[in-house]
Parts: sequence; C-alpha cells; structure tokens
Amino acid sequence: MKRRLWALVAVIALLIAACGGEEGGDTTEGGTDTTEAGATTTAAEGGATTTASADGDCVVGMSWNNYNEERWAKHDEPAIMAALEAGGCEYIQSDAGSSEEQQITDVENLIAQGADVVIILAQNTQAILPAVQGATDQGIPVIAYDRLIEDANTFYVSFDNVLVGQLMAEVIYDLVPTGNYIVLKGNGSDANSDFLREGIGAVIDAAVDAGDITIVAEDYTDNWDPGLAQTQVDQWLTQANDDVQAIVSENDGMATGAAAALDARGLLGEVALSGQDADVAALNRVALGTQAVSVWKDARALGTAAGEAAVQLAGGASLADVEGTGEFVYTNKETQAETVLTSILLTPIPITQDNLNEVVDAEWIAVEELCAGGATAGPCAG
Amino acid sequence: MTMVPRDDRRPLVEMRDMSVSFGGVHAVEDVSIDLFPGEILGLVGGNGAGKSTLVKTLAGAQTADSGEILIDGKPATIATPRDAKGYGIETIYQTLALADNQDAPSNMFLGRELLTRWGTLDDSAMEDATRKIMGRLNPKFQNFKKPVNSLSGGQRQSVAIARAVHFNARILIMDEPTAALGPAETEQVRQLMRQLKAEGIGIIMISHDIHDVYDLADRISVMLQGRLVGTVNRSDVTMDEVLAMIIIGKLPGEITSSELEQLHG
Amino acid sequence: MSVVEASPAQTKTVEPGPRRSVGAFLRDNEIDTRMVGMIVVLLVIWVGFHFLSGGTFITPRNLWNLSVQTSSIAIMASGMVLVIVSRNIDLSVGSMVGTVGMVMAMLQVEWLPPLMGRGNSWIWVVTLALGLVLGAAIGAFQGSIVAYVGVPSFIVTLGGLLVWRGFAWLTASGRTIAPMDVNFQLLGGGARGSIGDTGSWILGGIGCVGIIALLVMGRRRRRKFGFRLRPTWLDVVLGVLGCAVVLGAVWVMSSYYLPENLARAYAEEKGIPWPEGGLLVPYGIAYPVLILLGVTLVMAFVTNRLRFGRYVFSIGGNPEAADLAGIKTKRTIVKTFMVMGMLVAVSAAVSIARLNAAVSGLGTLNELYVIAAAVIGGTSLLGGIGTIPGAILGALVMQSLQSGMVLIGVGAPVQDVALGIVLVTAVAIDTTYRRRAAR
Repeated sequence: MKRRLWALVAVIALLIAACGGEEGGDTTEGGTDTTEAGATTTAAEGGATTTASADGDCVVGMSWNNYNEERWAKHDEPAIMAALEAGGCEYIQSDAGSSEEQQITDVENLIAQGADVVIILAQNTQAILPAVQGATDQGIPVIAYDRLIEDANTFYVSFDNVLVGQLMAEVIYDLVPTGNYIVLKGNGSDANSDFLREGIGAVIDAAVDAGDITIVAEDYTDNWDPGLAQTQVDQWLTQANDDVQAIVSENDGMATGAAAALDARGLLGEVALSGQDADVAALNRVALGTQAVSVWKDARALGTAAGEAAVQLAGGASLADVEGTGEFVYTNKETQAETVLTSILLTPIPITQDNLNEVVDAEWIAVEELCAGGATAGPCAG
Repeated sequence: MTMVPRDDRRPLVEMRDMSVSFGGVHAVEDVSIDLFPGEILGLVGGNGAGKSTLVKTLAGAQTADSGEILIDGKPATIATPRDAKGYGIETIYQTLALADNQDAPSNMFLGRELLTRWGTLDDSAMEDATRKIMGRLNPKFQNFKKPVNSLSGGQRQSVAIARAVHFNARILIMDEPTAALGPAETEQVRQLMRQLKAEGIGIIMISHDIHDVYDLADRISVMLQGRLVGTVNRSDVTMDEVLAMIIIGKLPGEITSSELEQLHG
Repeated sequence: MSVVEASPAQTKTVEPGPRRSVGAFLRDNEIDTRMVGMIVVLLVIWVGFHFLSGGTFITPRNLWNLSVQTSSIAIMASGMVLVIVSRNIDLSVGSMVGTVGMVMAMLQVEWLPPLMGRGNSWIWVVTLALGLVLGAAIGAFQGSIVAYVGVPSFIVTLGGLLVWRGFAWLTASGRTIAPMDVNFQLLGGGARGSIGDTGSWILGGIGCVGIIALLVMGRRRRRKFGFRLRPTWLDVVLGVLGCAVVLGAVWVMSSYYLPENLARAYAEEKGIPWPEGGLLVPYGIAYPVLILLGVTLVMAFVTNRLRFGRYVFSIGGNPEAADLAGIKTKRTIVKTFMVMGMLVAVSAAVSIARLNAAVSGLGTLNELYVIAAAVIGGTSLLGGIGTIPGAILGALVMQSLQSGMVLIGVGAPVQDVALGIVLVTAVAIDTTYRRRAAR
C-alpha cells in the first residue's frame, strides 16, 4: 500500500513539473510559482546569470505580488518579456503569493540572482519600502509597476489610476446624473482603491454635494473578492429596497459579483455598472448591455513601457533620462507628505458599447468571446 | 516449564516458545505457558518482564516474531483483535480501552454493533442488552446515557468487564484488574472471577499485587526480563517463594532460606 | 453473583426533586442544552440586527438571502465535523473549492459542450457528477497519506492548501470563466433558483410529519424496552416547536416575492395575463438551501445511525480503543476525508453557480470559516465531540453576523475583528461549560 502511494506521489510530482507555463509556455515555469505562500524564484530559460555588464548583457527581475489575476500572465508579462528580449535583457521573476513579507524576500533574492533592475508590483505600498531602500542602496533602480511606491527613488509606471476612476465615473454620471449610487471599492490596503475613488469623486462630488446624487453605500472589499462583492451588494440592495440606479465598481471582478446580485433581483441591465481591466466576462457584459463601461488599460502597453524603461535603466541611464517621462506628485492623504515621482503614466481607454471594435482590433479579445450569449452591439452585429 | 499438570484435560490455550522483540530488545523470549478451562492462571513479574507483551500476542494486539498458539489443541492464527475475539478470547486492558466520549452501551458493542434490519445502528437494543448485563454484574449502575469518562473508576471497570464477559468469552485476559479499585469494588471483581472460573472460563490474570494473585490464582507463571522463570501450582508454594521467583528468578527448589530472608530486607 | 443485593432495573421516571435546574432537566431528557443555547444566541443576534438596521433584518428578503449566503460554508462545515471529531483537520478545503470549482466551470463552459452539444440539458448533471468524483479523489488521496503513511493531517492539508490553489490557477491559466451553464446556474439560487411556494409547503409538511414521526417512534421504542420516557407534555412541546420552526421557515421563504420586472417576465413566460394589482410570485426555498438541508439530513443520519459515524466518534474518543475493538481505523479516516472532498465539490458548485463565474481565487480562506463554523457549533478541536446540526447553526451564526454588519454599514475591517472575537468567545464559553459539566 505504501509503495503504491509513493508511486502516485511521484507521478503527480512529474505532472506538476511537466505542466509548467501554460500561457505561451515560453520562458517561465509559470505554473509552479502560483502557490499561495512561500513562492519560489524561477530562472528563465537558460538559467540565471550572476553578473551583468553595461554592454547589453543585463538581467531584469520582476516581483509579482500575486499571480492570481487574469491579466498578469495573459497581458502584462508577455509584453514585459518581449520588450526585455528586444533590448537584449534576461527576465527573472518571483511571486509573493499576496504576502508582504514574502515580497521583500523576493526582491532580495532577485538582486542576489544578479538583477540589474527590479520591477515591483507591490502588494502593499508601505510595506515594500524597506526592500526598495535596500535596492537603492545597492545602486539598483526600482520600477514601481502599476501600483505606486511612496519613494522618490522609484520609477513609477502606471496608468493614471485617478484618470481611470474619472473615466468610469464620467460614463456612469452621463447615464445617471441623479439618483442613488453604490460605490464598490477594492482592497483597503491597495493605494489604487483610493486613487480610483479620487477620480470618481472628481466627477460626482459636485452632484453629491448638490443632493442630486446620494451614495447609499460605499465600502472596501477584501482582496477585491468577487464573492464578497456579491454579498455586499445583496445586503445593500436589501437595505435600499432596490432603489439604486448606479453601481460604480472599481474593477471587473467585483463587477461580476455585483452583476450576479443585480441579476438575482432582475435589475441587470437597469442599473448602470462600471468596471476596470476589460476582462472577457466584463467586455461580454458591455456587449450585452448589462455593464455600461469597462476601463481598458492595455496592459501590454504598460508592460512594454516598463520593459523598455528597464532596458534603459539597466544600460546605466538615470531616472530622468528615460524616454517619455514626466513628473507625478503624490500626496499621502494621511500625512499630507508629498513625493515627486519620475513616471510614465499611460492613458486608459473607457470601453463602452460604442467603441467595442477597439478591443477587437487590438486583438485583446476574440469576437466570439465578446459576443457570446447573443450580443448584437458593435462588432457583434450581423 | 510446567511442574505438575493439574489434570490431564486438554489445555484451553497453549502458547509455545513465544518470542517478541522490538528492535533488538527481547521483550519476550521463548516463553511457553498454558491455560486450562476453569482455572485462573496468574502471570506475574516485575516491570519490563514482558507479561503484557506476551498476553497481547494472545489478544491479537501484537504480532509475535516466532512461536505458536494452540486453542483447544488446534493451531490458531491471531493477527488482529478481531481474530482473537473469534476464538472466544476477550481482553480487559489495563487502560480499559474504552472510548471516553461514548456511553456504556456503545462501548459494550464497540466494533460489534447490533444493527436493525436496514443496517442502521440499533441503539435501543444495545441499551437494553447493556442494562441486562450490567444488572447482573453491577445493579447499582444507572448511567447508561452518559459518556464513560464521567463515570468512576469502578464503574468504568465494570463496563470493561461486562464487555468482555458478554460475548461468551471462553478465555479471559485481565491486565491489572483491581489496580485502580477500592476495596469494595476489588472484592466484587474477585467474586466475579471466581464465578466465571466456576463456569469453566479460563482466566489469565496479570497482577503486581502478590496477595491478589495468591488469593485467586490456581497456578502462577513467573516472568523475568522476557523469559519464563517457571510455572507452579499455587498450593505448592509460599508467597515468599513466589517473590523469589519474581525478584531473583530462582525456582523454589533452588533457592536457599537465607536468600528468602533477604527478600524482606 | 455479586455480593451486593441485586435490584431490578428501574423503568419508571424518577420523581424530580424541587431544585433541579433547567439544564439538568433538559439533559435528562436528552435535549442538547448547547444547541438550545446556540439557538438563543442566534435569535438575540437576529433581533439585535433587526433593530439596528431599522427593521430590515427579519424580513423575508433578507432571511432568504441569508439562507443562500450560508449554504456553501455550511455544507462544508458538516463534513469538517467528522474530520475534526476523528482528531484530524483539513486546511485545504478552500483551495480544493478553487480547483474543483474551476474544473466544473471548465467542464460546462469549454470541455463538455463540444462533446455533448451546446446547451445540452444534461451538461449540469455530468459536470456535477465529475466534480463529486474529483472531490472524492482528492479527499481520498490526502486521507490516504494521513492514514497509511502517517503524516499528520495538519501538514498534509497544509500542503494541499498550496497545491490545490496552484492547480486552480493552472486549470484555466488564471482566467475568469463565465457564465455558467443555464441549468447549472439554478444551483446557486437567484431569480429562478428556487422551488416556489407549492414545493416549499409540501416539503415543509413532510418535514413536520417527519419530526412528529421521529418523536412518536422514539417513544414507542423506549416503551418497548421499558426505558424511561420523556414526559408526554415535553414531547408534545418539542413536536409543536419543531413543526413551528419548519413551517415558519417555509412561510418566510414563501413570503419573499419576485420583484416586479421579474414577475412580469415570469407571467409572460407562463402565459398569465398581468392582473391589475400585480402578481405575487413567491420564491420559496432556494436550491442551494435545499441542497444544504439534504446534506444536513444525510450527514446527521450517517453520524448517528451508521456504524461509520459511530467509528469516527470512537476513533476521536480513543484511537487505541477503536483499534483494539477491531475497527478498521485507517479506512475510516480515509473515508472522512473522502466525504469532506465530496462536500467541497457540492459547495464549489453552489459557489460558482451563485456568482455565475469561476475565478481562480475561488474559495480563498474558506477553510477558516468552515473550521470556525464547526467549532462555534460545538466541535472540539481535541476530537471526539461535535454535532452536525451544531456546525450548521455555527455557520448560520457567523453569516448572520457578517451579513448583518454589512446591512448596518459596518466597514470590512471591523467585521473581521468582530468575527474573530465571536469565535474566541464561543470556544471560551464552550470550554468553561464543558469543564463545569465534567465536575
């Protein structure tokens, strides 16, 4: 009995090793890294090198906070890798499994493996600071990817998240200038949740003050969890007796949960719903008319920008020398401290029923996926 | 090594040349004992003598490395407790082996539950049977629904004994049966043992209390450090001689009177 | 015979002395005082939130929602009872929900339609069946390592927590899979996921009859053996209370009506002309709740009426005694994990049906809620003690707290703090109560 069991375990271990890297299957053993805690750093094809030189042989380390969202593997990572390859740099990565402490260790490991530049998608903008300090002390440039790190030495590459909030709110406000709103925010410890809220506020605050818009419910959602969002919306609809005209959801995952809650009350399509990330399910809802807008941040553009910046930084350029940078002033809402960040901020695109062809043309989504369920808007007609 | 056979009936149990070792330590080495129907065999010895290990092989809780067991003269294979029960061997362990969170009827029938005709547990039948059995053995026992860990030591002991007795045991192994009991309960157990003996059941009794053994046992087998010192008829020896066998390991014929005196310090 | 004078076994009820406490009275009549305590706590919570929310908590709509929200954790909690009772633990259930849920989603959306034809009305059946098989297989695998290789269950399932979370991602490369098969969706409740009032009342009637039958049969069995009976008035009260609860619950579920637009759609579908005052279409008991009830009954039956359940408790009480009694302990342990795995599959089905999507983070942290529900419901982490209905109540208590807090606008971090405090308090009360009872 014991022998059979060990054989079974061996087979499973082989399967795990063989099934690595489903997406593109190129350079990373992506599969074996997607564990909840205690991540490993894996070497890219050809093994990790330990030294870098200024003549093109560079190593760039990528520290993911948690590989679990659809977009990282599908869009961001391939773009980063392509840009690095074009610049003659090697790609190594790690996954912190949502753990702040693990991410600090990951960054140290990447540097120990010879990274000349480190790109960090921070789990927690405060907790990562020691790791950034450590890198800067060793003269290694740090790129803050998508999520801001409050350190003037970092290079901030993101979409303008305040703008994202603004764009989604504009679409919703256009549809619902007066009425009751629900604001579904993301993870409490993620600075993006507050950036987005800032942008949303820029659009609707005046109406709220004037009494045209009433925010009947607003709260953070642990881990941006869709199931939790659904329960929250269930309860808020109950408390408001269904008298809600708009739900501003800060991302598409939570919009899925909100949609399910609305559907249970037959309100799907009648309540204006927003989202961000342009994931497949959300775009499908936009095509079907049950979600008004999903703000598209072409993660491929973001990855490319970060990759190109990394190549330049690895080649010895200083932060300000990198192409296409501007200054972004971040004000900490608690301490009011200001940090001036060298940054590249890309422009997000709100996707509504009127411009669905953009995501199709850019090969972000396939027409069949977009139009599933009998949608007839835009590219689905005919 | 048997001195004089009690009679020439066939023994109920014969254990021949039993050996058990744990990683190089010989817990039991070439021990042979037997048990006749209607007799109480006292199995005694100091700590580490191997008494418990020896009877565990008979109870199916331990596999012997070598040796054979015969029941009613026929070779028996006892690999699990279930096998032992199949041969009519019931055991009352020193720890009683009761499931503390279950009540008396559940413990009585543990592993041998009564089922209804649909295959579900027949708790009422089990409770009824338990009431009847306990009524015979310990009429004051009333706590049929409470988990046994809320019962006194004596009550728990009576559940363990009832369990052993109920299933038509022909061979009863009792490991330190009165160790945790007060005087009244000890006397009850002794009465029970005498009664069972009269019914023709063979009892192997392990005890460190030489008085108990001397009172109850018909024959006494003494073990020392895994080996059998010898088996004697109780009527042929004094308590001191038995003590000598336990402590020094010498048979009555071999021991000197001065050594006997030394036993008393 | 014993020297002590034998007296016949008593068959009459002992006359209660004047000072017997309510607790002792209940216990003597085989009523679980702990369960009664929990029901009281639940009522206090409900009434409390009802006032704090301005009268929204105890309404058909909120209670209906509550029942659906409780389902997925409660289903798994019933299986966790057996695992914990037998002195093990399963930390991997959340990640298993992820893997099994993702596989079921892929089956119904991508893998089966090409084989069975798009929209085939059997897709949901095959999906669910394969999900159960997968859950059982994972459970058996982990259980075997625990029972036969001897690795502590804490470690095995901790490993499982990591492994199955990884597999959940691998199944669909991290994609969100949506929407679910049209028939499968019903398993999650929602607008069409309930059985209507007729069905609910029929079930309620059966439930009430069942309770009365159990009480009657119990009395009859005791009389047959000459055991002491419960006082007749007590049995009548229990019967009335039981029926009241069952029928009351059905009445609440049937008082929750479809919102107007859905009712109109329903009327159109059925070809009913829309009446002047509007049409009231009751939801009735939601499918996930029905599944939960079914699971509860089956698990309670298994625990109390089958040898398997008895053996699980014996192993928890004294593993050595169970071995010596000839119980096949290793096989029993594997079975507890298999049952847990199958319940994980059922719970995952309910979850993805309710969300109408499967995300790779599905089920994250579920194991903590499931264990908390079982423990609040009276299961002891030391093993040997626990009840199925207790665990269900434990899940209901936790969900009532969480949903209630959202209802009254308490923020997310405060909710977490509150739930943690409740968990520790419940166990502290339990420990003190047990200690006092043992004296």
